Amino acid sequence: MPGARTSRFAQHHDLELCAQAVTGERAAFGELVRRHGSAVRGLMRRMGAEAAEADDVAQDAFLAAFERIAEFRGEGTFAAWVKRIAARLYLRRLQRERRLAPLVEAPEAAVAADAADRLIDLDDGLKALSPVERLCVSLCFGAGLSHGEAAEALNLPLGTVKSHVKRGLEKLRTRLAPVGRSALQGSRRDG
Amino acid sequence: MAELDFERRLERLFAEPPAYADDEAFAARIERRLDRGWTARRLLIGSAGVVGGVIGASQMFASNLPHRMAAAQGSARALSSGLTQTEPAQWMSTLPSGGVVVWIAIGAAIVLIGFVLTRVIEEI
Repeated sequence: MPGARTSRFAQHHDLELCAQAVTGERAAFGELVRRHGSAVRGLMRRMGAEAAEADDVAQDAFLAAFERIAEFRGEGTFAAWVKRIAARLYLRRLQRERRLAPLVEAPEAAVAADAADRLIDLDDGLKALSPVERLCVSLCFGAGLSHGEAAEALNLPLGTVKSHVKRGLEKLRTRLAPVGRSALQGSRRDG
Repeated sequence: MAELDFERRLERLFAEPPAYADDEAFAARIERRLDRGWTARRLLIGSAGVVGGVIGASQMFASNLPHRMAAAQGSARALSSGLTQTEPAQWMSTLPSGGVVVWIAIGAAIVLIGFVLTRVIEEI
């Protein structure tokens, strides 16, 4: 990324950085944030959070990850681990603020007529889903949760989650641009 | 098959991180938060250790220490006079006795209290 600061840890593998972070090396963890921050922030937005809230939750997720870094065993990728933490934090926030139930019951978003006809990227495609479909698809395909884990996190029956995922995928399949034409690829979004 | 292909594609799309203009600022903000938290924690642990040590020491002095030391010296004298009538092992003769033991115990107790407090706070 142009203008990005290069740290002395730039050449280190994620696992090496995690090992250094376990010893309290904050700069090593900072490099992990630099590498995966946008992925976690992006997931929060794809789950439906506004930009400021997405950044808040992503920040809390990274701070929580630093506190629990010794628990990360390297079984998956570091990014996947933080994404799961962030997804759960976001759902917990929605539950705490009593915003989850209205989302689950909310009707599908109205898609503008022209948007329904044209091929769009993932972020625009997700906006065409109902909030709960969007959450379910993002949890399962973005945060890497199983259907069962998503059902537990959303406090919904497993069958309901599977239905939401299926409907969400059907809608996305008809709307997403074919491979190679996705506007998402290489795109740059405003913070 | 087409469904599986689409699901794989979707996973790939989700895995492609969008680039935000303020990525660097976001990382710097978190690093600042970590540094702040670390400094606060070190101060807290350090001050808790000092406070714990001072409380431990004051408790020992408040518990009639001079009298206990005198009693310990008396006991040590009685013990050593008894020991002269026995055949002590080599290592026993090197042990300190009387007031020295009390001071060593006080020092060890202060270090132990500080260590325990530090560990407890770190766990919290």
